[in-house]
Amino acid sequence: MARISWGLLHRLGGMLIVLALVVTVVFIIVRVTPGDPAAVMLGSDATPEDIAQLRSRMGLDAPLIVQYGQFVGGILRGDLGQSIFLNQPVTQALAARAEPTFFLTLFSILIAVAIALPVGVLSAVRRGTLFDQIVVTLTMVAASVPSFWLGLMLIQVFAVGTGWFPASGYGGPDTPFLERLHHLVLPAVALGVVNSALITRFTRAAMLDVLGEDYVRTARAKGANERRVILKHALKNALIPIITVIGLSVAMLVAGAVVTETVFGLPGVGNLVVSAVLRRDYPVIQGTLLVVAAIYVLINFIVDMLYILVDPRVRL
Amino acid sequence: MKSAFLLATLAALAGTSGLALAQAQGDGVLTVATIGEPPTLDVMQTATDIVLTIDQHIFETLYTYDAQWKSVPLLAAAMPEISEDGLTYRIPIREGVKFHDGSDLDSRDVTASLKRWMALYPKGKQVATIVESLTEDGDHAVVFKLKSRYAPLLATLSQASVIMPSEKIADTLTEFVGTGPYVLKERKPDQYTQLVRFDGYKSPEGEPSNYAGKREAIAKEIRFVPVPDANTRVEGLISGQFDFADSLPVSTYERIEASGTAKPVIFENSGWVSLNMNMKEGLLTKKPLRQAVQAALNASDMMLAAFSDERFFSIDGSFFPKGSAWYTEAGVARYGEGDPEAAAKLLAEAGYDGTPIRLLTSRQYEFHYKLGEVAKAYLEAAGFKVDMQVVDWATLTTRRGDPKEWDIFITHSNFPGDPTTINTITDAYPGWYVSQQKATAVKAYMDALDDTAKAKAWEGIQTVIYDDAPLYKVGNFNGLTGVGASVGGYTPTYWPHFWNVTPKK
Repeated sequence: MARISWGLLHRLGGMLIVLALVVTVVFIIVRVTPGDPAAVMLGSDATPEDIAQLRSRMGLDAPLIVQYGQFVGGILRGDLGQSIFLNQPVTQALAARAEPTFFLTLFSILIAVAIALPVGVLSAVRRGTLFDQIVVTLTMVAASVPSFWLGLMLIQVFAVGTGWFPASGYGGPDTPFLERLHHLVLPAVALGVVNSALITRFTRAAMLDVLGEDYVRTARAKGANERRVILKHALKNALIPIITVIGLSVAMLVAGAVVTETVFGLPGVGNLVVSAVLRRDYPVIQGTLLVVAAIYVLINFIVDMLYILVDPRVRL
Repeated sequence: MKSAFLLATLAALAGTSGLALAQAQGDGVLTVATIGEPPTLDVMQTATDIVLTIDQHIFETLYTYDAQWKSVPLLAAAMPEISEDGLTYRIPIREGVKFHDGSDLDSRDVTASLKRWMALYPKGKQVATIVESLTEDGDHAVVFKLKSRYAPLLATLSQASVIMPSEKIADTLTEFVGTGPYVLKERKPDQYTQLVRFDGYKSPEGEPSNYAGKREAIAKEIRFVPVPDANTRVEGLISGQFDFADSLPVSTYERIEASGTAKPVIFENSGWVSLNMNMKEGLLTKKPLRQAVQAALNASDMMLAAFSDERFFSIDGSFFPKGSAWYTEAGVARYGEGDPEAAAKLLAEAGYDGTPIRLLTSRQYEFHYKLGEVAKAYLEAAGFKVDMQVVDWATLTTRRGDPKEWDIFITHSNFPGDPTTINTITDAYPGWYVSQQKATAVKAYMDALDDTAKAKAWEGIQTVIYDDAPLYKVGNFNGLTGVGASVGGYTPTYWPHFWNVTPKK
């Protein structure tokens, strides 16, 4: 127990160091990237004098070390700053965009896992058959397809063609919760299908590894039925790499659904980052990337915890 | 009057435009897909196209532009009374106009709003330098006293100088209260901006003409929805999710036309593209070299590369298109079809030493990039060395502010209401076009009091611009938008507007 606690503390310390690095690196990258929020805000009519005045009002002419100190001080107080363009706190802007991103991630990963686990397991069990070859080919194709292209095809068929789903957006002012989720079906399928390819391949490979192990052969020799052999003896032992890749997919979805959110016009975190980068909205870029990094680190931590549940031999 | 400058293309649309006004106000909602989220709704802070598009439904200005881009009254009751020396403008204000909060519009609101505009908005700041005083004259008139004559006053008062209640005015606006036909109900950034009909709206009179004339809020509600991906805007329009989609790829014209659910709308002369040159530092401070650039470039090839199809651009050296009150061919003899030999001769005369021209462009506007590629080839054919630097738009806008960083940048503009509001004419705009003959020509324009004198003075300015060559005007481009097949009364304008538009049933 003491060993776990020490390991846990060690891991938490590591997480804090990662986040501190992210804070610093993001701050520096944002500042050294050419472009200026004041110039973007004022538009093409602005003179250099207008831009300089606005920079001063925004506090962007303060020394970098002062700006960095203000940013870090804010984080310690739970304040990620004020968006230059949205005229609201970054935390508020993030909270407003959390719902679509959360449900998009959840649905995408559910779709991906629902496809990948059974198909990956069956493909490994039926190795070398026509089914296996089809799965290997399709997963290769699905992994190569950009999610934005798949998204546009889905819009073409299910929004324009059948009219079953909206082409874009997250509903209007009076849209009830369930209808808002209806807007997420096509983007979730686009992301889910693409992610399922990777998870299927990992599942298949992990299952192939364990299906050749002595304990599986022993289980079969002892007369255990095939279903029990595959689900209890093989799949359980193949879970660690599968959990790893699912965890990575979730983390990537939180931060990486940028293109899909743009294609489907979803007001999520990815969209927020893209518009902030284009406008050079420094506080939003910094705050959002910090939160995304924190989620990424947290998901990895949860995945590590799951290892312990799945395999008691694993220690932190 | 159907103006060649403005306009529209589809006979079907033109046929329905008159009907719309006759229709009663209904419960319909118009969903408008825009190119993105407005950075703010405070147009005095940021007057980008998307902000102006949305804001014109909420706020109004004293004057606005008609189909010839002449300024005509909107909140003003009439054209101004101008003193004989041209230094005093008395502007009467319409009575009985109410703000969305129920208060009455009066002269105190106008002076307070215009003072904020002169403090914040770049063109308002220019006006501020020549304004001696701005005062109220009773409850329904204001008086501008100028230090010197300023011909573009009404044109500048027609854009972004929105009038709001004096008690709502602050450095950072927290309430967006105007006099327009629609009230801001809710804004969820990146999701929608919801406007609802203003029942207390008092419309100006007259036939609708561009932004002028009678305005009726037929749709109960307008929702502006940001859809950054152009293909998604097209699909959403065709599927019926959107009633209007802005800025569509020209390649989708046939697809929208064939859909049966939507109609493509071409807005002719939506803007013009230019290569702006650095007159402050570097190679192109030498006039013969700028004229060599002018001689080297081929406008037709550049525009064809950028816009693919002749339906979507036109080659025209005049800084204003045909149909505009400002159209003139004065000076355009220098606008050619690319003459590498003449350019090479100018290069030799100027003693060009082979220093590369730094050509800044961006892929954020793909047509800038395509046009830049062709420009590079023509410049190299004439003997220039070209260092084409492709950066994102935010980077370009920063770099062009530093005269050490560039020689040419590519940009585009709309057609402003007044010649002197063309950015390049301003001394401080990147490029830093300062010349004695320009100053003299602009002074003659500023002093002009009537339209004839202004038109003559503008001919002088255009001639001087072609001689000084601070920029190379490439050509005019048309914009493509789409509107739902059952939406009635939409008339294309540079900033699309949706009063007088009937939503689908």
